[in-house]
This record gives sequence, structure tokens and C-alpha cells, in this order.
Amino acid sequence: MTLIHVPRPPKTAMNPDRPVSSLLRNQIEHLHGAEQRLPVRFRSKIYINAIKTQAEAARYCREVTEAIQHAHAEAAAARAGRVVDLAAAAPEPMVSNPKASKRSRAEKNPASPRVKKKAANSPGDDGKRR
Amino acid sequence: MPQGLDALKHIVVLMMENRSFDHMLGSLQAVDPRIDGITDALSNPDTTGAPVKPQPLAEFQGQLDPDPDHHFPAVDLQIFGGDTSLTRTPNMQGFVKSYFNQRQDVGHSQKIMYYFAQNQLPVLTTLALEFAVFNRWFASIPGPTICNRAFAHYGTSFGRVDMNPVFVNPPFKSIYDRLIDANPKHTSKLYYYDTTSSTMEVANLLQNQPELFGTWTQFLDDTSKGNLPDYSFIEPNYNDHDGDDGEELENDQHPDSNVQAGELFIASVYKAIKQNPSLWQSSALLVVYDEHGGIYDHVPPPACSPNARDGFVASANDTGTGATFAFDRLGVRVPAILISPWIPKATVIGGRIFEHASIPATVTKHFLGDYPLRTAREIAADTFLDVLSLDVMRQDCPDFDV
Repeated sequence: MTLIHVPRPPKTAMNPDRPVSSLLRNQIEHLHGAEQRLPVRFRSKIYINAIKTQAEAARYCREVTEAIQHAHAEAAAARAGRVVDLAAAAPEPMVSNPKASKRSRAEKNPASPRVKKKAANSPGDDGKRR
Repeated sequence: MPQGLDALKHIVVLMMENRSFDHMLGSLQAVDPRIDGITDALSNPDTTGAPVKPQPLAEFQGQLDPDPDHHFPAVDLQIFGGDTSLTRTPNMQGFVKSYFNQRQDVGHSQKIMYYFAQNQLPVLTTLALEFAVFNRWFASIPGPTICNRAFAHYGTSFGRVDMNPVFVNPPFKSIYDRLIDANPKHTSKLYYYDTTSSTMEVANLLQNQPELFGTWTQFLDDTSKGNLPDYSFIEPNYNDHDGDDGEELENDQHPDSNVQAGELFIASVYKAIKQNPSLWQSSALLVVYDEHGGIYDHVPPPACSPNARDGFVASANDTGTGATFAFDRLGVRVPAILISPWIPKATVIGGRIFEHASIPATVTKHFLGDYPLRTAREIAADTFLDVLSLDVMRQDCPDFDV
């Protein structure tokens, strides 16, 4: 079977300081448009008009691409959490029992996923949701 | 049905960047006269009126600076030579004039006619001579990357002829969604090089369906373990950067990246499939370029037949030429090679027109059969799997030392 030699490019071919091509510039614009739809906590702190080199473009592409993936992953995890929660919740009695405890859900079952989730999502001391 | 087509389970498309057919494969006319490449009769006038012939003087990097203009107005000049009359026909005489506009340098403008000698591109030329090369694969639009790539994903660019985001209009779905939503379900993935290179398909697919994407590393793992999806689309590395395993060289072959890096990447994709025998015998790999990058090619792009027009019209403002565009003409010719051990050696596909809508058309036909919710353009596009015509698999396919 014929084995064809493939010459390697020289080391000098690599140039992260090369000016951004029009193709990369457009890709940055598209990613910036997508970035604006992300929640603030996912957005980069990069000013795209200041991107001049391939290395700077590369850094921006990576940050925003990964941020989009993380945002989707977080949403998917939240959906999965709600499904688990629904499956784990005990069926509520159909007829109210006057003798039933007036305790809250948290008091009745502090270990329940819903209780833990609510505690996790409640604003912290800094006012930010976790 | 031929055995090869019957055995086909995986279609893989690798779409490279911005090089014309004559520029990359034109040298092969001297090897196989059936390949419609460079001849001594070809030329383009420069701005002094002197004819400039194509020459095998292309360099791997540093020559096409500035990046040749490949946006709609420039490509219009390249194809029609500056003729703006209503009765004009394509003459492919405007490439040198177009490149002159960017640097005002007569000598430099002539380099747009340079092409690679066969021995400079051992991977691409070997694959073209060993498998099936398309004499008539055109970019879908006489314009730039984003709208051309859209035809490969959706069978249309939804009326865009520029680099603005393409937004999907119902009822037309991407080829990925068609496969995933089918019953029975099929599998599909876009592999970008890594998150630092990312994808050119941001506005719809990355933003809304990032789960469709994998990385080059994952592609290697998937091919090794036999987990390749039914349909895979691979994007090369679009920028020089430091990766997790060291320096990652841009390998998309877009000017002014190093063309040899792209050769290495093409060979790596080929090897990844070939070294898994089960995958090799059940896969077809298409290596194609999104558009010509403003670089010379001699074949006039054909008009689209009336039944192949998808109904979109780009405004005069969007084209930048002062005239509308009814998606009634294809873009400039690009290299396209189909690879499979079920393809007869030295297949040259001539006399048939292909473009990027042929990709979703082919994938849809093979995995889904009849599927009416597509543009007229895609429905009319020719498909290419009939090229897998052998009943006995070849054992003489080459290997590359990558």
C-alpha cells in the first residue's frame, strides 16, 4: 500500500499576532451577537472592538463558545433537577386531615430535594442567586 | 444496489476554506486530461490590458496578502470581467482586476492567477487521483463564507449573500435536525476543531443547539471506537492558538494561513476513518471548499435552472452591486473530492453540476428518502452517492504518514 509523505509546515507558520482576518472578524461579530443573549454572569469582559490579533480573537471565541455551552448545560441540569424532584415528592393526601401537622415542608422533610434546592437558590448575603 | 452503497452507514463532510479548483487541482489536467484544469490557453487581463497566464508559482503562505476579496461585488467583477449589462455572460476575466483594487500593485495583482504544482499538495492531489474528483462542483453563491456554508447546513442561505448571520426560517430545517427528528432517529454531529476555533455556524446551531457539536479530539475518539454518527460535518481550525496539547496552527487553508497545515489536517481526517476497518468500509468522506476565496478559476458558473431557484431574492443593498440577485447563478468552482474504497480509482465526475445544496440533498436521500420540506434549490440539487459503484472493495487505497 502506497505511503505518501506529508510535509509539515515550518515553525514560522504559527503567528498568533497575525492581524485578524475578515473571516475571524465576522465570526467574532456573530459570537458577540450570541453573547448579548447570555445572562450577564456568562458574558466575557472582552471588548470586541479592541480585538486586533488572532490570539485575542481565539481567546474571545473560546470564552463565548464555552459560555454558551455552560448556559445550556445549566438549563439542562435545572430541568433534570425538577424532574427528579417531581419523582421524589411523596403523593399529597387527597382529603385534608385537620389533625395533620401545621409544620412547613422544610420542617417535615429537611432532606427533600425541593427543600435543598430552594435553600440553594435563595439569595445569598450578596443578593445574588446561586 | 452496488455493494458499496448498500454498506454505507456514515457520511462525513470536511469543508475547507477559500481556494478555487484551478488553484488547488488545476495542475492535474497535465496528469489526467479528463480533469478540467489549467491549460496554456487560459489568461486574465491585468489593469494595463496585458494577458496574465496561470503559473504554478503559488506559495504556501505569505503570498496572497491582502486576503483576496471574495464578497459579492468583487466576485461579480471576477466572473463578469466588469460587464454590468443586462445581457452579460460570465467570462471569468476579472480576477486580476479585482485583486488590483486591493493594493493598486500590477505585479502583485497577477499572483491571483498562481496555482499549486502537483507535488506541493501531495494529499489533495493524491486523493483526487485515487478517488473521485468533481469537475463541476461550484460554491452555491458568488459570495463569501457564511452564506455558502449555510447551503451545506440548510440547503439555502435564506436570502443572504453576505457575512451577516443566517437565520433559519420555518419550515426548512438543518440537515442535523432532519436526521435527529426522524423516525427512526438518526445521529448527526458537527465537529469543530476546539472551542477556541469554534464554528462558523453561530447564529442558529451553536447558539440554540450546542449539543450538536463535538471537537476534533472527540472525532478521533469516535472514529477509533466506532461511534461515528450517521452524518458528520467537520470544521477545520480557524485560528492560530495555544491548545491544551501545545500550539494549534490554523489549518483551514484560508489565506493567509499555511496551506501545508491544511494538507496535514485533510490527511488526518482520512487516516482517522481509514484506520478503523469497519468504519472505512461503511463510510464516504467528501472534502470540499466553501468558496473560491477570490482566486482564479476558468470555468464560468452556470445559471440555476428555473425549477432550482429557491424563491429568495437579495436586495441591491445586500448585494452591493446596485442590482438584486435572484439566486439564479452559482458561485465559482471549488475543489471537491469524494473518498471511499467503493469508488473506482481515478474517477472524474464531469457533465454534472454540484453545489453545496448537494450535501444535504445527498444525506437526506440516503438516510431519509423522500423529504419534501426543503427548498426547491435543494430538491433540484444533484446527489453524489451513485459514485460508490464498486461491488468489491478496493484494497489499494493510499496511506499518509501522519
